[in-house]
Amino acid sequence: MDSQSFMHFVEYELQAIAITWMVVMYTIKAVQLSRLPMPWEKEKPKGSGAKGILRSYGSIFMPWSVESSRKHMGRWIGFSLYHVGCLVAIVNTFTYTFTPGMMTPTVKIVFSALIAPAIFIGFIKFYNRLSRPELRHISTPDDYFSLLSLQLFFFTGIMALLLDTVFWRSSYYIITAAFLFYVPFSKISHYIYFFFARFLTGKRYGWRGIIPQK
Amino acid sequence: MDTREKVIQELDKRYNRLVGTSATNLCTHCGWCIESCHIFKATGNPEHSPVAKAEKVRRVLKRKHDWLSRLFPKWTGAKDLTESDLDEWIEAAFKNCTLCERCVINCPMGVETPQILATARGVLTAMGKSPEILNQLTDAAIAREENMEMMEGFFRKQIANLEKQVQERMNDSNARIPVSEEADILYVPLSGAHTMVPAALIFNAAKANWTMSLFEASNYGVFVADIPKAKKVVERVLKEAKKVKAKTLVVTECGHAYGVLKWEAPKWFGKQFDFEVKSLLEVMNDYIQEGKIVLDPSKNSEPVTYHDPCNIGRKGGIFEEPRNVIQASSKEYKEMTPSKVENFCCGGGSGMVACSEWTEDRLLYGTVKVEQIKKTNAKKVVTACDNCLHQIKELGEKNNLNISVSNVSEHLANALVFS
Repeated sequence: MDSQSFMHFVEYELQAIAITWMVVMYTIKAVQLSRLPMPWEKEKPKGSGAKGILRSYGSIFMPWSVESSRKHMGRWIGFSLYHVGCLVAIVNTFTYTFTPGMMTPTVKIVFSALIAPAIFIGFIKFYNRLSRPELRHISTPDDYFSLLSLQLFFFTGIMALLLDTVFWRSSYYIITAAFLFYVPFSKISHYIYFFFARFLTGKRYGWRGIIPQK
Repeated sequence: MDTREKVIQELDKRYNRLVGTSATNLCTHCGWCIESCHIFKATGNPEHSPVAKAEKVRRVLKRKHDWLSRLFPKWTGAKDLTESDLDEWIEAAFKNCTLCERCVINCPMGVETPQILATARGVLTAMGKSPEILNQLTDAAIAREENMEMMEGFFRKQIANLEKQVQERMNDSNARIPVSEEADILYVPLSGAHTMVPAALIFNAAKANWTMSLFEASNYGVFVADIPKAKKVVERVLKEAKKVKAKTLVVTECGHAYGVLKWEAPKWFGKQFDFEVKSLLEVMNDYIQEGKIVLDPSKNSEPVTYHDPCNIGRKGGIFEEPRNVIQASSKEYKEMTPSKVENFCCGGGSGMVACSEWTEDRLLYGTVKVEQIKKTNAKKVVTACDNCLHQIKELGEKNNLNISVSNVSEHLANALVFS
């Protein structure tokens, strides 16, 4: 296989297989969860379930409304930048392949600048996990591996954007594919469960008039 | 069937969507919940963080339900259950967690740690490992109905004595405490007179069509997550409500009893009840808003603060009503910080007050509450839950806070002006 065929394979076929795999795994998980019994509220509502759900999803964007964010604004900013980095690195796997015309040098620098802070924050996360006894106590090999593999994903993403060589580009796509295969099994899949959990918690709290607070 | 198989079977019975969502990869071990917990704040012990407590149960659930944990348990921290794990569960679920849900509102993901630990409580109860006193109190409540013929005469005599107190305080010989008679309101008290006399004063002052239940509101079955028994405890009141043709069931100031009767029991029975369920807090607030009772706030002249019981506030949705009542019946009100949905648990919830073997721990777990009370400079703490009342009284004595503690109805009754 020449380098052009190889690049085509890692950018298209491999990604398609990996994404299909991830979607199938998530679908199975979603079906499994949906089949579990759910003790929905039966008493008439004191508030609004819909407003509770909206507030529940929105709270992540309203750091002033939750003590754990409000009191640690630096942590919340780090959390936000980290997830922006994740999002841009994921979006980049599509834009790089499907809209090459859009990827001007300026866009590449902007993307890199948005991903770069995530690497820095990733190191802080890693340091905290090792140095804080209460975090070390609950950390598993999957926690460390997930963090480090994301660092690698970010790093190869930036290198592919800035240098655009076959090596960095193929590394980025291979790591992306490996990631997509692994994610449904790891704690990184929290973003899928997030939507279930926030819906359930928000609905109950909203129904009972607990959130949104007046 | 060995212990492990039985535990897994009991876990499966309780594995619903809430538990299933929170027991898999939703928790990223980010640690944002850690500082939200009053128990961790009091002890600083990593074992006492919400995530660490949940993890003790979650790792066993993951071993069964999480794909990666089935293949490589060590990689995800999952493990097969052992006998010693159950002892750890007792510590995590009963002793070191009051199920206050403060961690839930502070978790960026919405992990329902108390649901996981309540599941563990249910499993431990099924395995005969939950605190004996909580089971005995549940059984006693069920036995009360079974022996009602024997108990009723004695109970009515006690109420007759309390009725005299009410008549004296109101200077009205027509004031009554009707027991289990036909009425619009069925009031369900606790077994102490402090939940009967003030309520009777308020109902009489408002000229309400009410009656007192033969049964107490408390339901220890919910603390041990023994839902079949908890249902039996509730059924006694449901039958009585039907018998007296109540339109409204008013629950006394008891956090878990309100949570059970208002929110949980309809789920257990799979239907909304034929009558409305209200807290006495809401009823008192209604009477004030409707001008049915007259108050003299100068009778409560000392600075007063309110402690939100978790089951009434963060889990029950009642925040403004008690504040309205206290402010209308006091000269000076001071808000605690934080309060309402962010309020800290007093440390006595979810059965802790009843478990005398953990008294020292319980009083330590109230450290945050002590600091909160001190900062208000209030001379009186008012709350709406008997467990909180008991805990805050003990915290006050132990820490020389020089405060008085009462429930909201006592505070309001003290300011009542009888015409």
